[in-house]
Amino acid sequence: MRKRVEILALLVLVCLPALFAQQRFTISGQIKDSRTGEDLIGAVIQIRELPLKSVGTNSYGFYSLTLPAGSYEVTAQYAGYKPCIEKISLEKSQKLNFSLSEQARELDEVIVYGRRKDENVTKTQMGLLKLNVKEIKNIPVLFGEKDLLKTIQLLPGIQAVGEGRSGFNVRGGAADQNLILLDEATVYNASHLMGFFSVFNSDAIKDISVYKGNEPSEYGGRLSSVLDIKMNDGNDKTLSVSGGVGLISSRIVVEGPLIKDKGSFMISARRTYADLFLKASSDTSLNKARLYFYDLNAKANYRINEKNRLFLSGYFGKDVLGFGNTFGINWGNSTATLRWNHLFSDRLFSNTSLIFSNYDYKININSGVKLNIISRIQDYGVKQDFQFFGGDNSTLKFGFNEVYHQIIPGAITAISNVSLKSLTNKHALEHAMYVSHLFSLSQKISIEYGARFTLFNLIGPGTFYTYDNKGNIASRSTVNSGHFVKTYFNPEPRATLNYVFNQQNSVKTAYARNVQNLHLLSNSTSGNPTDLWIPSSNNAKPEISDQVSIGYYRNLSENKYEFSSEIYYKNLQNQIDYKNGAELNLNDNVESQILFGKGRAYGLELFLKKKSGRFNGWVSYTLSRTERKFDTVNSGAYFPAKQDRTHDISVVGMYDLSKRWSLSATWVYYTGNAVTFPSGKYVVDGKTMFYYKDRNANRMPSYHRLDLGATWLRKKTATFESSWTFSLYNAYGHDNPYTITFQDSKSDPTKTEAIQTTLFKLVPSFTYNFKF
Amino acid sequence: MIKNITWLLSVLIVFGSLSACKKVIKLDLNTASPQLVIEGNIYDHSGPYTVKIFQTVNFDESNAYPAVTGANVILSDNAGNSEQLSEIYPGSYITSKINGVPGHTYTLDVNIGGKSYSAISTMPFPVDIESIYFQKSLFGNNKYPGINFIDPANISNYYRLIYLINGIKQEDINVTDDRISAGQTISYTIRPIDTDNKLKTGDVVTIWLEAVDQGVYEYFRTAGREGGQSASPANPTSNISNGALGYFNACSVRALSVVFP
Repeated sequence: MRKRVEILALLVLVCLPALFAQQRFTISGQIKDSRTGEDLIGAVIQIRELPLKSVGTNSYGFYSLTLPAGSYEVTAQYAGYKPCIEKISLEKSQKLNFSLSEQARELDEVIVYGRRKDENVTKTQMGLLKLNVKEIKNIPVLFGEKDLLKTIQLLPGIQAVGEGRSGFNVRGGAADQNLILLDEATVYNASHLMGFFSVFNSDAIKDISVYKGNEPSEYGGRLSSVLDIKMNDGNDKTLSVSGGVGLISSRIVVEGPLIKDKGSFMISARRTYADLFLKASSDTSLNKARLYFYDLNAKANYRINEKNRLFLSGYFGKDVLGFGNTFGINWGNSTATLRWNHLFSDRLFSNTSLIFSNYDYKININSGVKLNIISRIQDYGVKQDFQFFGGDNSTLKFGFNEVYHQIIPGAITAISNVSLKSLTNKHALEHAMYVSHLFSLSQKISIEYGARFTLFNLIGPGTFYTYDNKGNIASRSTVNSGHFVKTYFNPEPRATLNYVFNQQNSVKTAYARNVQNLHLLSNSTSGNPTDLWIPSSNNAKPEISDQVSIGYYRNLSENKYEFSSEIYYKNLQNQIDYKNGAELNLNDNVESQILFGKGRAYGLELFLKKKSGRFNGWVSYTLSRTERKFDTVNSGAYFPAKQDRTHDISVVGMYDLSKRWSLSATWVYYTGNAVTFPSGKYVVDGKTMFYYKDRNANRMPSYHRLDLGATWLRKKTATFESSWTFSLYNAYGHDNPYTITFQDSKSDPTKTEAIQTTLFKLVPSFTYNFKF
Repeated sequence: MIKNITWLLSVLIVFGSLSACKKVIKLDLNTASPQLVIEGNIYDHSGPYTVKIFQTVNFDESNAYPAVTGANVILSDNAGNSEQLSEIYPGSYITSKINGVPGHTYTLDVNIGGKSYSAISTMPFPVDIESIYFQKSLFGNNKYPGINFIDPANISNYYRLIYLINGIKQEDINVTDDRISAGQTISYTIRPIDTDNKLKTGDVVTIWLEAVDQGVYEYFRTAGREGGQSASPANPTSNISNGALGYFNACSVRALSVVFP
C-alpha cells in the first residue's frame, strides 16, 4: 500500500509542470508494419514544427506525445520503411496510428538499418547495442545456422567464450552474469549441443537489445548485461509460411491472422538431424546414438480494443543425447509469458506479465548402476510495468517484479533396488521495485536516472549450513517450509547523462549498480548442461557491480557512418571462484567448494559502422582487462580472469553484388584467454603429473579467423521467394586452438609434449530458404 | 559415477566436432624452482613399505626426476611403533619392521636439510571385490572392466581402484566414495583414458580395490581432475604438510583377477 502512495506522489511531481503550461493535448497510438501488422519497436515520431519533440515507440509499438494545441505535420519513420506523414490540427487529445510499408529494395538506394538515423547520438541510453534480425541475415555462420548470440559477439565489449560458442562474456563478466530474456522470461541455459548453437531460432526473433551493464531500472538480476530478445508477433494480414533446409537442421515458420487486423499468431520450429548421419555409421554404438535438438517458438496476440491487448508467448526446446540404453541425457528450457497491455489513458501505458521459466536436465544411467538424475530451476513471476509519458520530453517508468525460484539441484531416483540420497531443494523469493525518469534539462542535456530495489529471501524448508574458511561445516540450522533463512536487501541506483553538442556529436556518461542473487557454478572451460544454479545464501552473498562509463558518439556523412567510443570501469564484489579440485557435482555441501573474492574490469571500446549503401558493415575494437582477487589464489593478488582479453577485433563487411547476389565476410582476432599451464612435472605411482604455480598465468595463442558468405536470391515473386546461402567458416584454415593439453610424448616416452586440438577449419555449409 | 558423467560430456565435445584435429605444438612455458615430491604407501600386508622422495623438473626436460638423498624419514603408528627408514637406492626409503594394521593411524615425518614435512593416514578395513564384469564402450567396440563391491554401512568410505592388464599398471586414476550409495552394492566401471589399448581375449585383467581414508581420496580425486576439462587446473590436494607434492597412503587392498573372455 505504501508503495502505491509513493508512486502516486511521484506521478504528481512529474505531471505538475504540465498543469501550469498552456493547454496541451496528447497524440498517441501504434506504429505497425503495413504488410505484416508486426509492431515496430523503436520507430520514431517527429513533429516538423517542433523538431526537438520526438519520441520512439516502446516494446509494444506504442507511443505517446504531448504537445501544445496547434497544427502539426507528424512523421512516423522506421529504418528500411517509407516514412508516413500526417497533418493534424491538435485541439483535443487524439489517437494517431501509423502503418508503414517496407521500402522496395533497390540496389543503389540508401538503406539504413537500425532505428532513428541519429539515435546513436541523441538517445540518452549508453552501453546499448541493438540488432535487427534483418540486419544480420547475410553474415556467414558456422554450419549455416544464423545465430544471434554469435552475431552479437562481433560487437564491442562482447566476447565469445570460445571457438564456435554461443556463450559470451560482456565487459569482463562471467557467462552467468548475462540476463537473457525471451519475451521477458529468463532463459537459464541459452545453448544447444554443448554451446555450439544458441536456443534462439532467428526465424522467430524480431529484435535483440544488449545492455552492457547500464540497463534501465526495469531490468535487474545479473551483473554484466541484459540481452532482451523479442519474438515476432506474427502476420495479422495473411497466412504465410517460410522455412529453410540446411546441412544440419531444418526450420519452418507459420504465421497468420487469428482475426484479421486484430490478432495474429506465429509458430516456429527447428530440428537438427546430426543423428541421421550417425545411423549410417558402421560402428554399432555410434549408429544407435541419439543426438539432436529442437526448438519450438509460439506466440499469439489479440487486440481486444484500442485500450487492451493480450500476448501469449512460449518457447520449448530440448537437447537429446544418448547411447543405446547405457546412457542418456536431455536438457532444455521452457518459457511462457502472458502479457496484458492496457492504456489507462493516452499517457499512461501499462503492461502486466505472468512469467514462467524452467530449465532442467535429466540423466539416465544404465551401466552398472541404474539411476536417473533430475535437476531443475524453475521461476514463477509477475511483472508490472508502467510508462507515463509526461510531456516536455519526460517519461517516467515504474513497476515491480516478483519471482519465486525453485531449484532442484539433483534428485536421484534409482531404478535398481538401491536407495540413493537426493540433494536438498532450494526455494527463494526475489522482489524488485523500480522507478526511472527520463527527461530533457535543456535542448542539449538529457538525463535518465532511477533506482531498483531488490529484496531476496532464501526460504525453507531444508537444512542450511554455514562453512568456515576451510570449507568445514561451522553451523547448521533446520528451517521449516516458508520460513526465511537469509534475506538481502540492495538498492541499485542508476543514472545516465547525455550532452548533445549538435546532431552529429554527443557525450554520455553513466553509473549503474547491479546486483545478482543467482549464481551459476561452472568450472569447466566450456560450460556444461549440468552446471548448477545456486541462490544467495548464508555463504554466497549477492554479487554486486558498480560500473562507471563515459562515451563519445559521432555520426558522419549524414548519418551514413556511426562512430562510438566508450570507456568503462567496473568494480565487482562477492565474485565466485572454485577451490582447487572443487567437487561441484551432486554435492550437498557445494557451497563449501566455493571461494569468494572481488574483481575489477576496465576497457575501451571503439565502434565504426557504415549503415547504408551497397557496401555496409562495421569494425569493432575492444581493449580491456579483467581481474579477480581471492585470498587463497595466487597469494591474494589480482590475477587475470579466464575471460580477460587484451585485444578483441571484429570486422564485418556486406556487399550487394547484384540484385541476386550478396556477399559477406567477417574477420575476428583476439588475444588468447588466460589459462593455467604447467610450470613443471613429476611422477606419482608411475603417472606423469604436472606442477602448477599460479592460476591463469599463461595465455592461449591468439585467435583469428575469416568467414565468407554468399546469398543467392533465386526467385522472388509476390507470392514466392527462395534463396540459397553459402558460407565458409575459417576460410584460410588457421589452426585455432580449442584446447591445449599436456601428456607424455607418444614417440619419446622420456619427454612430455603439448597437444593442441583444433575444431573447425574450412567448414563449408549451405542452406535453402523459402517463403510463400 | 560423477566422473563418468564428466567423462561422457567431454567425449561429447569431441564428438560434436568430428573435424577436430590434433598436433604437437611448442609452447614457451614458465619454469619453477624444483619442488619436493613425497610418495609413500603402507598396505595391510607385510612390508617392507617404500617412501620415495624426489624433485620436480621443468616441462621441457626429460622425465627423469632427481632423487632427494640423505633425508631423515620416520614412520610411526598410534600403537607406539616407530622406526627410521633406510635409503636403499637414492631417494627410496624402506621400512624394516613396522606392519600395516587396519584401524591404525600412521604418521610419516620427513626431515630434509632442516625442513620437515609430515602426513597422517588411517588405514581403513578392507573391502572385498565381489566380481569383475565387462561393459561395452560407448564408442568403438572396446570393453571396459568394472567391479562390484559392498560398501560397509554406517561409516563414510573412500576407495581407490588400480587397473592392471597382464600385470602392467594402467595410468588411470579411479576413485569413488559412498556419498550417494552408503551401505549399498557399488558398481564401478573403469573408463580408460587411453582407448587405443584394447583388451584382447586371454588378457589377465586385475583390479585392486584400495580402501583409503578421506585425505588420500581427496588427493587422488583432485589428481584425477587435473587432466580433465577444469578451467583452472591445480595441484592435487596433498595430505602432506608444508607444501610438499605427493601423498602418504595407508590403505587396505584387495585384488581380483579374471581372464578376458
